[in-house]
Amino acid sequence: MRVTIECYGASSRWCGADEVPLDLESGQTANDALDLLAKRFPEFAVRRDNIAIAIGNAITSPTTAIEDGDRIALIPPVSAG
Amino acid sequence: MPTDLPRLRDGALNLADWLTELQPADCGGLAVFAGTVRNEHEGRAVTGMRYHAHRALAEARLREIEAEAANRFKVVVDVAHAVGELGIGETSVVVIVRGGHRGECFAACRWTIDTIKQAVPIWKEEHYVDGEARFLDGVAIKSIAES
Repeated sequence: MRVTIECYGASSRWCGADEVPLDLESGQTANDALDLLAKRFPEFAVRRDNIAIAIGNAITSPTTAIEDGDRIALIPPVSAG
Repeated sequence: MPTDLPRLRDGALNLADWLTELQPADCGGLAVFAGTVRNEHEGRAVTGMRYHAHRALAEARLREIEAEAANRFKVVVDVAHAVGELGIGETSVVVIVRGGHRGECFAACRWTIDTIKQAVPIWKEEHYVDGEARFLDGVAIKSIAES
C-alpha cells in the first residue's frame, strides 16, 4: 500500500520535501512508516523522538494501523505565538 | 468578531477588529494579549516571519482552546492566529477575554496564550537580514488537557 507523509515545519527541511510517498506492507503501523522514513532521511532520524503524528485533524498514536491512501502528518515541536 | 470566522487567518491580524463592539452588559473586564513580530532574536536582526500551520488541526485546536478557557474561567474568549508572511511589528496572534472581573480575565488570557503556544501546530520560520531563514526551536506538542 502507499501512504503520504506530510512534512510540516522544519520536518520539510529534514526530509527535503513537503510530502514524501512511502510504500508499505498491508497491516503496518504509523510507526513502521516513520522507521522507513528515518532510514531514508538521517536528519529526520535524529529528531524523531520529539515528533508527533496526525491523521486527519487529530494527533494519533504511532501504533495506529494505517491504510492505503492515508496521509500522515509529521508534527515537529511547535512554536505558535 | 463573529464567531463563525476562521481562527486561522492568512496575513497579519488587525487587533482593532476585535474591539469594535460594546462589552456584554454582564462583563466588567476586558483582557487583551497580542503577539507581534520582533526585529531581533538571540542577537540576530530579523526582517520578518513566516508562519506555517497544519491548518485543519490548528483551526480545531484554537476553537477547543477557546471553549476550554471559557469553561475553566467562566469568561468569553476569542482567539486568532496568523499564517503566512508577516513583517516587523505586525500582529500574529490575538487573545481577547471578556468576563465579570479582572481576576478571571487576566488568568484566562494568560492560560489561553500559554496553551496556544504549546498545543497548536503552528511553526515560525524566521527571516534574517543576511538572507538566511530558519524554523525556531519549539516544544513537543501537548494536548489541551495537559496545558
